[in-house]
Amino acid sequence: MVDVRNVRGGDGLVGISDEVDEILDSVVESTRQATEAFFETYDKNPDPRVLAAWLEPRAWREIDYVFLLNEQIRRYGMGFSRTHITLLAKQSFQEAEHYEAVGKAIESLGGTVPVSVPEEARPWSEFLWDCLERHPLAAIAAWNVSETSASGSFEPTFRAGERHQFDEVVRVYRQIEIDEKFHVGLGRQILSSYARTDHDREEILRAMRGMRDIAWKTFTPESVAQRRRA
Amino acid sequence: MNDITMRDSMDLMEAGAVFDVDVAAVKTEADGVVSLELKSSYGQSLPGWTPGAHIDVILPNALVRQYSLCGDPQNPEAWRIGVLREPASRGGSSCIHEDVRVGDRLQVTTPRNNFALVDAERYLFIAGGIGITPILPMIRQAAEGGKPWTLLYGGRTRNSMAFLDEISTCRGGEVHVMPQDEFGLLDLPRFLGAPRTDTAVYCCGPGPLIDAVEENCRTWRAGALHRERFAPSVKPRLETGAFEVELARSGQRLTVPPHTSLLSVLENAGHKITNSCRAGICGTCLVKVLAGTPQHNDDVLSDADRESGAVMLVCVSRSESELLVLDL
Repeated sequence: MVDVRNVRGGDGLVGISDEVDEILDSVVESTRQATEAFFETYDKNPDPRVLAAWLEPRAWREIDYVFLLNEQIRRYGMGFSRTHITLLAKQSFQEAEHYEAVGKAIESLGGTVPVSVPEEARPWSEFLWDCLERHPLAAIAAWNVSETSASGSFEPTFRAGERHQFDEVVRVYRQIEIDEKFHVGLGRQILSSYARTDHDREEILRAMRGMRDIAWKTFTPESVAQRRRA
Repeated sequence: MNDITMRDSMDLMEAGAVFDVDVAAVKTEADGVVSLELKSSYGQSLPGWTPGAHIDVILPNALVRQYSLCGDPQNPEAWRIGVLREPASRGGSSCIHEDVRVGDRLQVTTPRNNFALVDAERYLFIAGGIGITPILPMIRQAAEGGKPWTLLYGGRTRNSMAFLDEISTCRGGEVHVMPQDEFGLLDLPRFLGAPRTDTAVYCCGPGPLIDAVEENCRTWRAGALHRERFAPSVKPRLETGAFEVELARSGQRLTVPPHTSLLSVLENAGHKITNSCRAGICGTCLVKVLAGTPQHNDDVLSDADRESGAVMLVCVSRSESELLVLDL
Protein backbone atom coordinates (compact mmCIF):
# COMPACT_ATOMS: atom_id res chain seq x y z
CA MET A 1 0.00 0.00 0.00
CA VAL A 2 2.79 2.43 0.84
CA ASP A 3 5.27 3.15 -1.98
CA VAL A 4 8.26 5.01 -0.62
CA ARG A 5 9.16 6.14 -4.13
CA ASN A 6 6.19 8.50 -3.81
CA VAL A 7 7.55 10.14 -0.69
CA ARG A 8 6.90 13.85 -0.60
CA GLY A 9 9.90 16.16 -0.90
CA GLY A 10 10.43 18.66 -3.66
CA ASP A 11 10.47 18.82 -7.44
CA GLY A 12 14.18 18.20 -7.81
CA LEU A 13 13.69 15.02 -9.82
CA VAL A 14 11.10 16.44 -12.20
CA GLY A 15 12.19 15.57 -15.70
CA ILE A 16 14.31 12.59 -14.66
CA SER A 17 12.00 10.65 -12.39
CA ASP A 18 10.98 8.23 -15.13
CA GLU A 19 14.58 7.27 -15.80
CA VAL A 20 15.26 7.09 -12.07
CA ASP A 21 12.39 4.62 -11.68
CA GLU A 22 13.58 2.60 -14.67
CA ILE A 23 17.05 2.32 -13.13
CA LEU A 24 15.59 1.23 -9.83
CA ASP A 25 13.27 -1.34 -11.41
CA SER A 26 16.12 -2.67 -13.51
CA VAL A 27 18.51 -3.11 -10.60
CA VAL A 28 15.87 -4.85 -8.49
CA GLU A 29 15.29 -7.35 -11.28
CA SER A 30 19.03 -7.90 -11.87
CA THR A 31 19.56 -8.56 -8.19
CA ARG A 32 16.60 -10.87 -8.01
CA GLN A 33 17.94 -12.92 -10.90
CA ALA A 34 21.44 -13.01 -9.41
CA THR A 35 20.07 -14.14 -6.07
CA GLU A 36 17.91 -16.83 -7.66
CA ALA A 37 20.98 -18.04 -9.57
CA PHE A 38 23.02 -18.15 -6.39
CA PHE A 39 20.44 -20.24 -4.56
CA GLU A 40 19.98 -22.59 -7.50
CA THR A 41 23.68 -23.39 -7.13
CA TYR A 42 23.43 -23.44 -3.35
CA ASP A 43 20.55 -25.93 -3.48
CA LYS A 44 22.89 -28.45 -5.10
CA ASN A 45 25.48 -28.14 -2.33
CA PRO A 46 24.06 -26.29 0.69
CA ASP A 47 27.34 -25.59 2.46
CA PRO A 48 26.88 -22.95 5.21
CA ARG A 49 30.35 -21.60 4.50
CA VAL A 50 29.26 -20.83 0.94
CA LEU A 51 26.29 -18.90 2.29
CA ALA A 52 28.63 -17.08 4.67
CA ALA A 53 30.92 -16.15 1.79
CA TRP A 54 27.90 -14.84 -0.14
CA LEU A 55 26.98 -12.63 2.79
CA GLU A 56 30.43 -11.24 3.49
CA PRO A 57 30.39 -8.44 0.87
CA ARG A 58 26.89 -7.56 2.07
CA ALA A 59 28.24 -7.17 5.59
CA TRP A 60 30.94 -4.89 4.26
CA ARG A 61 28.32 -2.71 2.58
CA GLU A 62 26.63 -2.14 5.91
CA ILE A 63 29.70 -0.80 7.67
CA ASP A 64 30.77 1.12 4.58
CA TYR A 65 27.37 2.81 4.66
CA VAL A 66 28.11 3.88 8.22
CA PHE A 67 31.38 5.51 7.10
CA LEU A 68 29.76 7.06 4.03
CA LEU A 69 26.75 8.44 5.84
CA ASN A 70 28.80 10.06 8.54
CA GLU A 71 31.16 11.58 6.00
CA GLN A 72 28.13 12.75 4.02
CA ILE A 73 26.81 14.49 7.12
CA ARG A 74 30.21 15.95 7.95
CA ARG A 75 30.86 17.33 4.49
CA TYR A 76 27.44 18.31 3.28
CA GLY A 77 25.10 18.16 6.27
CA MET A 78 24.88 21.91 6.80
CA GLY A 79 23.23 22.14 3.38
CA PHE A 80 20.37 19.95 4.63
CA SER A 81 17.63 20.57 7.14
CA ARG A 82 18.22 19.51 10.73
CA THR A 83 15.53 16.87 10.28
CA HIS A 84 17.42 15.36 7.38
CA ILE A 85 20.67 15.41 9.34
CA THR A 86 18.90 13.49 12.10
CA LEU A 87 17.41 11.01 9.66
CA LEU A 88 20.74 10.38 7.91
CA ALA A 89 22.27 9.77 11.34
CA LYS A 90 19.42 7.42 12.15
CA GLN A 91 20.07 5.53 8.93
CA SER A 92 23.74 5.31 9.88
CA PHE A 93 22.81 3.84 13.25
CA GLN A 94 20.62 1.23 11.58
CA GLU A 95 23.39 0.33 9.13
CA ALA A 96 25.66 -0.25 12.10
CA GLU A 97 23.02 -2.53 13.58
CA HIS A 98 22.85 -4.37 10.27
CA TYR A 99 26.64 -4.83 10.21
CA GLU A 100 26.45 -6.31 13.69
CA ALA A 101 23.53 -8.57 12.88
CA VAL A 102 24.80 -9.80 9.51
CA GLY A 103 28.19 -10.30 11.14
CA LYS A 104 26.68 -12.58 13.77
CA ALA A 105 24.84 -14.51 11.07
CA ILE A 106 28.08 -14.97 9.10
CA GLU A 107 29.94 -16.21 12.15
CA SER A 108 27.13 -18.63 12.94
CA LEU A 109 27.64 -20.09 9.45
CA GLY A 110 31.38 -20.50 9.98
CA GLY A 111 32.41 -17.42 8.00
CA THR A 112 34.53 -14.38 8.77
CA VAL A 113 33.15 -10.87 9.16
CA PRO A 114 35.08 -8.48 6.91
CA VAL A 115 36.95 -5.64 8.60
CA SER A 116 38.33 -4.24 5.36
CA VAL A 117 36.75 -4.03 1.93
CA PRO A 118 36.50 -7.49 0.33
CA GLU A 119 37.83 -7.65 -3.20
CA GLU A 120 34.45 -8.36 -4.76
CA ALA A 121 32.98 -5.33 -2.99
CA ARG A 122 35.78 -2.99 -4.07
CA PRO A 123 34.11 -1.68 -7.27
CA TRP A 124 30.98 -0.90 -5.27
CA SER A 125 32.85 0.85 -2.48
CA GLU A 126 35.18 2.83 -4.71
CA PHE A 127 32.30 4.03 -6.84
CA LEU A 128 30.41 5.30 -3.80
CA TRP A 129 33.40 7.14 -2.36
CA ASP A 130 34.08 8.66 -5.74
CA CYS A 131 30.46 9.86 -5.86
CA LEU A 132 30.87 11.40 -2.42
CA GLU A 133 33.86 13.37 -3.69
CA ARG A 134 32.06 14.60 -6.79
CA HIS A 135 28.80 16.10 -5.61
CA PRO A 136 26.70 16.45 -2.42
CA LEU A 137 23.88 14.34 -3.80
CA ALA A 138 25.80 11.79 -5.86
CA ALA A 139 26.59 9.30 -3.11
CA ILE A 140 23.02 9.48 -1.86
CA ALA A 141 21.79 8.74 -5.38
CA ALA A 142 24.21 5.85 -5.74
CA TRP A 143 23.33 4.20 -2.47
CA ASN A 144 19.65 4.76 -3.19
CA VAL A 145 20.16 2.40 -6.14
CA SER A 146 22.25 0.01 -4.08
CA GLU A 147 19.72 -0.18 -1.25
CA THR A 148 16.86 -0.57 -3.70
CA SER A 149 18.73 -3.40 -5.38
CA ALA A 150 18.87 -5.30 -2.11
CA SER A 151 15.08 -5.52 -2.12
CA GLY A 152 15.37 -7.84 -5.13
CA SER A 153 17.27 -10.32 -3.00
CA PHE A 154 14.86 -10.58 -0.08
CA GLU A 155 12.13 -12.88 -1.33
CA PRO A 156 14.51 -15.41 -2.97
CA THR A 157 16.53 -15.41 0.27
CA PHE A 158 13.45 -15.99 2.42
CA ARG A 159 12.29 -18.85 0.21
CA ALA A 160 15.73 -20.44 0.33
CA GLY A 161 15.71 -19.94 4.08
CA GLU A 162 12.58 -22.08 4.31
CA ARG A 163 14.18 -24.79 2.23
CA HIS A 164 17.45 -24.83 4.14
CA GLN A 165 16.37 -23.54 7.57
CA PHE A 166 18.91 -20.74 7.86
CA ASP A 167 16.48 -19.01 10.18
CA GLU A 168 18.93 -16.51 11.63
CA VAL A 169 19.81 -15.13 8.19
CA VAL A 170 16.11 -14.83 7.38
CA ARG A 171 15.40 -13.08 10.67
CA VAL A 172 18.19 -10.57 10.07
CA TYR A 173 17.09 -9.81 6.55
CA ARG A 174 13.44 -9.43 7.52
CA GLN A 175 14.56 -6.60 9.79
CA ILE A 176 16.81 -5.17 7.09
CA GLU A 177 13.86 -5.30 4.68
CA ILE A 178 11.86 -3.08 7.05
CA ASP A 179 14.70 -0.60 7.51
CA GLU A 180 15.50 -0.43 3.80
CA LYS A 181 12.11 1.11 3.12
CA PHE A 182 13.11 3.98 5.38
CA HIS A 183 16.53 4.32 3.76
CA VAL A 184 15.16 4.25 0.23
CA GLY A 185 12.40 6.71 1.09
CA LEU A 186 14.82 9.06 2.81
CA GLY A 187 17.21 9.01 -0.12
CA ARG A 188 14.42 9.79 -2.55
CA GLN A 189 13.17 12.63 -0.37
CA ILE A 190 16.64 14.17 -0.06
CA LEU A 191 17.25 13.96 -3.80
CA SER A 192 13.91 15.53 -4.66
CA SER A 193 14.29 18.19 -1.96
CA TYR A 194 17.79 19.42 -2.74
CA ALA A 195 18.37 18.85 -6.45
CA ARG A 196 18.00 22.30 -7.98
CA THR A 197 19.94 22.50 -11.24
CA ASP A 198 20.41 20.44 -14.35
CA HIS A 199 23.96 19.75 -13.16
CA ASP A 200 22.56 18.30 -9.94
CA ARG A 201 20.28 16.04 -11.93
CA GLU A 202 23.07 14.98 -14.28
CA GLU A 203 25.22 13.95 -11.31
CA ILE A 204 22.31 12.07 -9.79
CA LEU A 205 21.75 10.12 -13.01
CA ARG A 206 25.45 9.46 -13.45
CA ALA A 207 25.62 8.01 -9.95
CA MET A 208 22.50 5.93 -10.41
CA ARG A 209 23.47 4.57 -13.79
CA GLY A 210 26.90 3.66 -12.49
CA MET A 211 25.57 1.86 -9.44
CA ARG A 212 22.96 0.03 -11.52
CA ASP A 213 25.80 -1.76 -13.29
CA ILE A 214 27.62 -2.66 -10.07
CA ALA A 215 25.08 -3.30 -7.32
CA TRP A 216 23.80 -6.71 -8.35
CA LYS A 217 27.14 -8.35 -9.11
CA THR A 218 28.06 -9.47 -5.63
CA PHE A 219 24.83 -11.47 -5.43
CA THR A 220 25.87 -13.92 -8.16
CA PRO A 221 27.19 -17.43 -7.61
CA GLU A 222 30.25 -16.53 -9.67
CA SER A 223 31.14 -13.76 -7.25
CA VAL A 224 31.06 -16.17 -4.34
CA ALA A 225 33.08 -18.75 -6.23
CA GLN A 226 35.69 -16.13 -7.01
CA ARG A 227 35.85 -15.15 -3.35
CA ARG A 228 36.31 -18.71 -2.20
CA ARG A 229 39.11 -19.35 -4.68
CA ALA A 230 40.94 -16.23 -3.45
CA MET B 1 -26.84 -18.45 4.48
CA ASN B 2 -29.63 -18.91 6.99
CA ASP B 3 -30.28 -16.70 9.97
CA ILE B 4 -28.63 -19.09 12.42
CA THR B 5 -25.44 -19.18 10.38
CA MET B 6 -25.49 -15.39 10.03
CA ARG B 7 -26.01 -15.04 13.77
CA ASP B 8 -23.18 -17.47 14.38
CA SER B 9 -20.91 -15.43 12.16
CA MET B 10 -21.82 -12.19 13.95
CA ASP B 11 -21.35 -13.97 17.26
CA LEU B 12 -17.88 -14.97 16.13
CA MET B 13 -16.86 -11.32 15.93
CA GLU B 14 -14.38 -10.40 18.61
CA ALA B 15 -15.59 -8.39 21.57
CA GLY B 16 -15.21 -4.76 20.70
CA ALA B 17 -15.28 -5.35 16.93
CA VAL B 18 -16.87 -2.47 15.03
CA PHE B 19 -19.74 -2.84 12.57
CA ASP B 20 -22.62 -0.86 11.03
CA VAL B 21 -26.17 -0.58 12.29
CA ASP B 22 -29.12 1.47 11.10
CA VAL B 23 -31.40 3.44 13.38
CA ALA B 24 -34.76 1.72 12.94
CA ALA B 25 -36.71 3.79 15.47
CA VAL B 26 -36.31 6.77 17.77
CA LYS B 27 -38.81 7.01 20.61
CA THR B 28 -39.23 9.46 23.44
CA GLU B 29 -39.39 7.36 26.59
CA ALA B 30 -39.53 10.16 29.17
CA ASP B 31 -38.58 13.79 29.61
CA GLY B 32 -35.04 14.00 28.29
CA VAL B 33 -34.82 10.31 27.44
CA VAL B 34 -34.98 8.78 24.00
CA SER B 35 -34.51 5.21 22.96
CA LEU B 36 -32.92 4.11 19.71
CA GLU B 37 -33.77 0.83 18.06
CA LEU B 38 -30.76 -0.43 16.12
CA LYS B 39 -30.73 -3.08 13.41
CA SER B 40 -27.98 -4.57 11.33
CA SER B 41 -27.28 -2.51 8.21
CA TYR B 42 -26.99 -5.68 6.16
CA GLY B 43 -29.99 -7.66 7.35
CA GLN B 44 -27.96 -9.90 9.62
CA SER B 45 -28.87 -10.96 13.11
CA LEU B 46 -27.03 -8.98 15.73
CA PRO B 47 -24.49 -10.49 18.12
CA GLY B 48 -25.91 -12.08 21.23
CA TRP B 49 -25.75 -10.36 24.59
CA THR B 50 -26.75 -10.86 28.20
CA PRO B 51 -28.33 -8.45 30.66
CA GLY B 52 -25.85 -5.84 31.85
CA ALA B 53 -24.06 -5.63 28.51
CA HIS B 54 -23.13 -2.36 26.86
CA ILE B 55 -21.96 -1.26 23.44
CA ASP B 56 -19.81 1.58 22.19
CA VAL B 57 -21.61 3.86 19.78
CA ILE B 58 -19.51 5.93 17.41
CA LEU B 59 -21.59 9.01 16.81
CA PRO B 60 -21.75 11.03 13.59
CA ASN B 61 -19.51 13.63 15.23
CA ALA B 62 -16.86 10.94 15.85
CA LEU B 63 -17.42 10.91 19.62
CA VAL B 64 -17.69 7.49 21.19
CA ARG B 65 -20.13 6.83 24.02
CA GLN B 66 -21.10 3.67 25.90
CA TYR B 67 -24.75 2.69 26.29
CA SER B 68 -26.33 -0.26 28.04
CA LEU B 69 -28.51 -2.56 25.98
CA CYS B 70 -32.04 -2.41 27.36
CA GLY B 71 -34.05 -4.43 24.86
CA ASP B 72 -34.73 -8.14 24.68
CA PRO B 73 -31.63 -10.40 24.59
CA GLN B 74 -33.80 -13.04 22.92
CA ASN B 75 -34.40 -10.77 19.93
CA PRO B 76 -31.47 -11.05 17.52
CA GLU B 77 -32.97 -8.62 15.04
CA ALA B 78 -32.76 -5.42 17.05
CA TRP B 79 -31.01 -3.76 19.92
CA ARG B 80 -32.31 -0.92 22.03
CA ILE B 81 -30.40 1.71 23.95
CA GLY B 82 -31.75 4.51 26.12
CA VAL B 83 -30.06 7.90 26.11
CA LEU B 84 -30.50 10.63 28.68
CA ARG B 85 -29.79 14.13 27.50
CA GLU B 86 -27.03 15.38 29.79
CA PRO B 87 -27.31 19.05 30.72
CA ALA B 88 -23.55 19.44 30.34
CA SER B 89 -23.30 17.31 27.22
CA ARG B 90 -20.07 17.75 25.28
CA GLY B 91 -21.63 16.49 22.12
CA GLY B 92 -22.52 12.87 22.95
CA SER B 93 -26.09 12.81 24.22
CA SER B 94 -26.92 16.11 22.54
CA CYS B 95 -25.85 14.63 19.20
CA ILE B 96 -28.20 11.71 19.67
CA HIS B 97 -31.10 13.87 20.77
CA GLU B 98 -30.64 16.53 18.11
CA ASP B 99 -29.07 14.88 15.12
CA VAL B 100 -29.74 11.17 14.99
CA ARG B 101 -32.72 10.21 12.86
CA VAL B 102 -34.43 7.05 11.70
CA GLY B 103 -32.44 5.64 8.82
CA ASP B 104 -29.12 7.02 10.00
CA ARG B 105 -26.21 4.62 10.01
CA LEU B 106 -24.03 4.37 13.09
CA GLN B 107 -21.01 2.31 13.93
CA VAL B 108 -21.20 0.25 17.08
CA THR B 109 -19.09 -2.36 18.76
CA THR B 110 -20.02 -5.88 19.71
CA PRO B 111 -21.34 -6.01 23.27
CA ARG B 112 -19.15 -6.24 26.33
CA ASN B 113 -20.49 -7.07 29.76
CA ASN B 114 -18.85 -5.89 32.96
CA PHE B 115 -22.16 -6.00 34.87
CA ALA B 116 -23.48 -9.48 34.30
CA LEU B 117 -26.45 -10.91 36.22
CA VAL B 118 -25.25 -13.66 38.52
CA ASP B 119 -27.44 -16.53 39.55
CA ALA B 120 -29.13 -15.86 42.88
CA GLU B 121 -32.23 -16.89 44.77
CA ARG B 122 -33.56 -13.33 44.95
CA TYR B 123 -32.70 -9.97 43.46
CA LEU B 124 -32.88 -6.41 44.68
CA PHE B 125 -32.52 -3.94 41.80
CA ILE B 126 -31.84 -0.28 42.58
CA ALA B 127 -31.92 2.11 39.62
CA GLY B 128 -31.42 5.85 39.53
CA GLY B 129 -32.59 7.72 36.47
CA ILE B 130 -31.16 6.36 33.23
CA GLY B 131 -29.50 3.64 35.31
CA ILE B 132 -32.70 1.69 34.64
CA THR B 133 -31.33 0.71 31.22
CA PRO B 134 -29.09 -2.23 32.22
CA ILE B 135 -31.50 -3.16 35.01
CA LEU B 136 -34.57 -3.59 32.78
CA PRO B 137 -33.37 -6.76 30.97
CA MET B 138 -32.16 -8.11 34.31
CA ILE B 139 -35.67 -7.75 35.72
CA ARG B 140 -37.11 -9.64 32.76
CA GLN B 141 -34.59 -12.43 33.14
CA ALA B 142 -35.31 -12.75 36.85
CA ALA B 143 -39.05 -12.75 36.16
CA GLU B 144 -38.74 -15.35 33.39
CA GLY B 145 -36.64 -17.48 35.70
CA GLY B 146 -39.27 -17.33 38.40
CA LYS B 147 -36.90 -15.61 40.82
CA PRO B 148 -38.39 -13.15 43.32
CA TRP B 149 -37.21 -9.62 42.64
CA THR B 150 -37.66 -6.11 43.93
CA LEU B 151 -37.06 -2.90 42.05
CA LEU B 152 -36.38 0.38 43.77
CA TYR B 153 -36.45 3.03 41.02
CA GLY B 154 -35.71 6.68 41.67
CA GLY B 155 -35.62 9.75 39.45
CA ARG B 156 -36.15 13.49 39.55
CA THR B 157 -39.82 13.34 38.56
CA ARG B 158 -42.16 10.62 37.40
CA ASN B 159 -42.16 12.13 33.91
CA SER B 160 -38.39 11.87 33.74
CA MET B 161 -38.34 8.16 34.52
CA ALA B 162 -38.26 5.91 31.45
CA PHE B 163 -39.85 2.51 30.79
CA LEU B 164 -42.42 2.69 33.59
CA ASP B 165 -45.08 0.99 31.45
CA GLU B 166 -42.75 -1.86 30.54
CA ILE B 167 -41.72 -2.36 34.12
CA SER B 168 -45.35 -2.62 35.17
CA THR B 169 -45.74 -5.69 32.91
CA CYS B 170 -42.89 -7.60 34.56
CA ARG B 171 -44.27 -10.31 36.81
CA GLY B 172 -43.14 -11.87 40.02
CA GLY B 173 -41.69 -8.82 41.70
CA GLU B 174 -42.27 -5.71 43.76
CA VAL B 175 -41.86 -2.38 42.04
CA HIS B 176 -41.26 0.80 44.03
CA VAL B 177 -41.26 3.84 41.75
CA MET B 178 -40.14 6.70 43.96
CA PRO B 179 -39.55 9.99 42.14
CA GLN B 180 -37.67 12.48 44.24
CA ASP B 181 -40.24 15.25 43.94
CA GLU B 182 -42.81 12.95 45.56
CA PHE B 183 -40.76 10.89 48.00
CA GLY B 184 -37.46 12.64 48.49
CA LEU B 185 -34.27 10.60 48.37
CA LEU B 186 -34.64 6.82 48.13
CA ASP B 187 -35.16 5.18 51.51
CA LEU B 188 -32.20 2.85 51.21
CA PRO B 189 -32.10 1.68 54.84
CA ARG B 190 -35.64 0.35 54.41
CA PHE B 191 -34.48 -1.99 51.60
CA LEU B 192 -30.87 -2.62 52.61
CA GLY B 193 -31.04 -2.37 56.39
CA ALA B 194 -31.46 -6.12 56.91
CA PRO B 195 -28.80 -8.04 54.96
CA ARG B 196 -29.96 -11.21 53.23
CA THR B 197 -27.62 -13.98 52.24
CA ASP B 198 -29.90 -15.16 49.43
CA THR B 199 -30.11 -11.81 47.62
CA ALA B 200 -27.94 -10.24 44.92
CA VAL B 201 -28.14 -6.46 44.88
CA TYR B 202 -27.75 -4.67 41.55
CA CYS B 203 -27.41 -0.90 41.42
CA CYS B 204 -26.95 1.47 38.51
CA GLY B 205 -27.21 5.22 38.46
CA PRO B 206 -25.43 8.41 39.41
CA GLY B 207 -22.37 8.34 41.61
CA PRO B 208 -24.05 9.65 44.79
CA LEU B 209 -26.68 6.91 44.59
CA ILE B 210 -24.06 4.21 44.23
CA ASP B 211 -22.02 5.71 47.06
CA ALA B 212 -25.09 5.62 49.27
CA VAL B 213 -25.94 2.04 48.30
CA GLU B 214 -22.37 0.96 49.01
CA GLU B 215 -22.60 2.58 52.43
CA ASN B 216 -25.86 0.78 53.18
CA CYS B 217 -24.46 -2.55 51.97
CA ARG B 218 -21.50 -2.53 54.33
CA THR B 219 -22.99 -5.23 56.47
CA TRP B 220 -24.02 -7.42 53.54
CA ARG B 221 -21.89 -10.42 52.54
CA ALA B 222 -18.92 -9.76 50.29
CA GLY B 223 -19.93 -9.91 46.64
CA ALA B 224 -23.62 -9.30 47.25
CA LEU B 225 -23.55 -5.85 45.68
CA HIS B 226 -22.97 -5.33 41.95
CA ARG B 227 -22.88 -1.80 40.63
CA GLU B 228 -22.27 0.14 37.47
CA ARG B 229 -21.67 3.84 37.68
CA PHE B 230 -23.21 6.11 35.09
CA ALA B 231 -20.86 8.99 35.59
CA PRO B 232 -21.96 12.24 34.05
CA SER B 233 -20.23 12.80 30.75
CA VAL B 234 -18.30 15.76 32.09
CA LYS B 235 -14.86 14.22 32.01
CA PRO B 236 -11.70 16.13 32.74
CA ARG B 237 -11.06 18.18 29.63
CA LEU B 238 -8.15 17.10 27.49
CA GLU B 239 -5.36 19.64 27.29
CA THR B 240 -5.03 21.46 23.99
CA GLY B 241 -3.43 19.25 21.38
CA ALA B 242 -4.18 16.02 23.19
CA PHE B 243 -6.59 13.36 21.97
CA GLU B 244 -7.82 9.93 22.97
CA VAL B 245 -7.23 6.70 21.17
CA GLU B 246 -9.29 3.55 21.64
CA LEU B 247 -7.90 0.18 20.68
CA ALA B 248 -10.89 -1.65 19.24
CA ARG B 249 -9.77 -5.20 19.97
CA SER B 250 -9.32 -4.66 23.71
CA GLY B 251 -11.38 -1.55 24.36
CA GLN B 252 -8.34 0.04 25.99
CA ARG B 253 -8.36 3.82 25.93
CA LEU B 254 -5.22 5.91 26.01
CA THR B 255 -4.61 9.63 26.07
CA VAL B 256 -2.05 11.03 23.65
CA PRO B 257 -0.55 14.21 25.14
CA PRO B 258 0.31 17.10 22.86
CA HIS B 259 4.06 16.53 22.58
CA THR B 260 4.13 12.76 22.55
CA SER B 261 3.67 10.67 19.45
CA LEU B 262 0.83 8.19 19.19
CA LEU B 263 3.46 5.53 18.51
CA SER B 264 5.24 6.29 21.77
CA VAL B 265 1.98 6.19 23.72
CA LEU B 266 1.12 2.82 22.21
CA GLU B 267 4.58 1.44 22.94
CA ASN B 268 4.54 2.74 26.52
CA ALA B 269 1.24 0.94 26.99
CA GLY B 270 2.90 -2.30 25.98
CA HIS B 271 1.84 -2.54 22.34
CA LYS B 272 4.50 -3.50 19.84
CA ILE B 273 4.09 -1.61 16.58
CA THR B 274 6.61 -2.46 13.88
CA ASN B 275 8.38 0.71 12.85
CA SER B 276 11.65 2.00 11.46
CA CYS B 277 12.04 5.67 10.62
CA ARG B 278 9.62 7.11 13.19
CA ALA B 279 9.48 10.09 10.84
CA GLY B 280 6.62 9.37 8.46
CA ILE B 281 8.77 8.26 5.56
CA CYS B 282 8.87 4.47 5.47
CA GLY B 283 5.21 3.54 6.02
CA THR B 284 6.05 0.63 8.30
CA CYS B 285 3.87 1.70 11.24
CA LEU B 286 0.68 1.80 9.14
CA VAL B 287 -2.45 1.16 11.21
CA LYS B 288 -6.12 0.86 10.23
CA VAL B 289 -8.44 3.56 11.52
CA LEU B 290 -11.95 2.43 12.38
CA ALA B 291 -13.39 5.75 13.52
CA GLY B 292 -12.33 9.34 13.97
CA THR B 293 -10.42 11.64 11.65
CA PRO B 294 -6.64 11.24 11.47
CA GLN B 295 -4.42 14.24 11.06
CA HIS B 296 -1.85 13.06 8.55
CA ASN B 297 1.64 14.44 9.19
CA ASP B 298 3.59 11.85 7.20
CA ASP B 299 5.35 12.23 3.88
CA VAL B 300 4.42 9.01 2.16
CA LEU B 301 0.73 8.06 2.22
CA SER B 302 -1.02 8.67 -1.08
CA ASP B 303 -3.64 11.40 -1.35
CA ALA B 304 -6.29 8.72 -1.73
CA ASP B 305 -5.22 6.97 1.47
CA ARG B 306 -5.17 10.25 3.34
CA GLU B 307 -8.61 11.25 2.17
CA SER B 308 -10.09 7.87 3.00
CA GLY B 309 -9.09 8.28 6.62
CA ALA B 310 -8.93 4.49 6.80
CA VAL B 311 -5.23 4.24 7.62
CA MET B 312 -2.59 6.33 9.32
CA LEU B 313 1.07 6.28 10.27
CA VAL B 314 1.18 6.45 14.03
CA CYS B 315 4.78 7.63 14.30
CA VAL B 316 3.98 11.19 13.26
CA SER B 317 0.26 11.52 12.60
CA ARG B 318 -2.30 12.63 15.14
CA SER B 319 -6.04 13.23 15.25
CA GLU B 320 -8.42 15.93 14.09
CA SER B 321 -11.20 14.39 16.18
CA GLU B 322 -11.35 14.01 19.94
CA LEU B 323 -11.07 10.27 19.59
CA LEU B 324 -9.53 7.81 17.17
CA VAL B 325 -10.52 4.16 17.15
CA LEU B 326 -7.73 1.96 15.83
CA ASP B 327 -7.76 -1.65 14.69
CA LEU B 328 -5.33 -2.75 17.36
